Amino acid sequence: MSVGFWEILALLLLAGTAIAVVRLQNAVHAAIALIANFLVVAGVYVALEARFVAMVQIIVYAGAIVVLFLFVIMLLSAANANVGQDLMPRLPWVAGLGALGLAGVLIFAVTRFQPPTGPPSLGGGLPQALGPLLYDPEKWLYALLVVGFLLLVATVAAVVLVEPERIIAATGHPAHPRRDDQPNPPLAEQKDEKAVVKR
Amino acid sequence: MIWLVASALLFSIGAYGALTRRTAILVFLSIELMLNAAALSLISFSKLTGSLDAQVVVLFIIAIAAAEVAVGLGLIVAIFRRRETTSVDELRQLRG
Repeated sequence: MSVGFWEILALLLLAGTAIAVVRLQNAVHAAIALIANFLVVAGVYVALEARFVAMVQIIVYAGAIVVLFLFVIMLLSAANANVGQDLMPRLPWVAGLGALGLAGVLIFAVTRFQPPTGPPSLGGGLPQALGPLLYDPEKWLYALLVVGFLLLVATVAAVVLVEPERIIAATGHPAHPRRDDQPNPPLAEQKDEKAVVKR
Repeated sequence: MIWLVASALLFSIGAYGALTRRTAILVFLSIELMLNAAALSLISFSKLTGSLDAQVVVLFIIAIAAAEVAVGLGLIVAIFRRRETTSVDELRQLRG
């Protein structure tokens, strides 16, 4: 692939927004720079024939995940990033040196990569092309089911983690012993927690 | 392939941020940057090799990142409620 104007522009935008994410002092600004970074990455995905992944990137990453970040930043009033002191943040050039070394090693590694010959057949990365792979039992179907269950467990865990009742119960013995005969323990536990709140 | 270089750069910048940021939320933000760099490299490899499997893996990465953010931000909120801080310098009870 030739390196033209758009590649250089995208590279500069990617690097610029990423540096803004790690250097800006205001956490809200850093999160918004992260949104810009994700949007540029989504554009690169479209250029690389991964259109469905690009749309998912915009919807899930830029739309949902960063908004969750912004919500928590504002909830905790943690917009000011400059709190605390440690040896490492006082020596940012050490981290910079480490990051430069990491970049050197990674760039050395990826420029050694020789792509196999043969015509690429990506089908534009559209859902028609990705769907049969995702739902093929010999390819990714079981991984897809596991990831779906993981999302369910993470949702339940997030609800349980931020519940005030849970923090009090953590200091003493648990309010409810977990029943092992439940077919779906995480969901049953969530229902139990809600019952506690009602009482 | 320029996008592999871009991915390496993004990963390194994210590592720099994870090392220098002092608030747990911003360390987390930098880790998201690194995850995204890994996804970008997978998409470039997909383009280079002509295989769609890498794009499926990127879909899984995005789903797992969503799960990770839900649990991680829940942890941060819970820690903030107990300790009134999310500074990674003050949360040092696990240090030897």
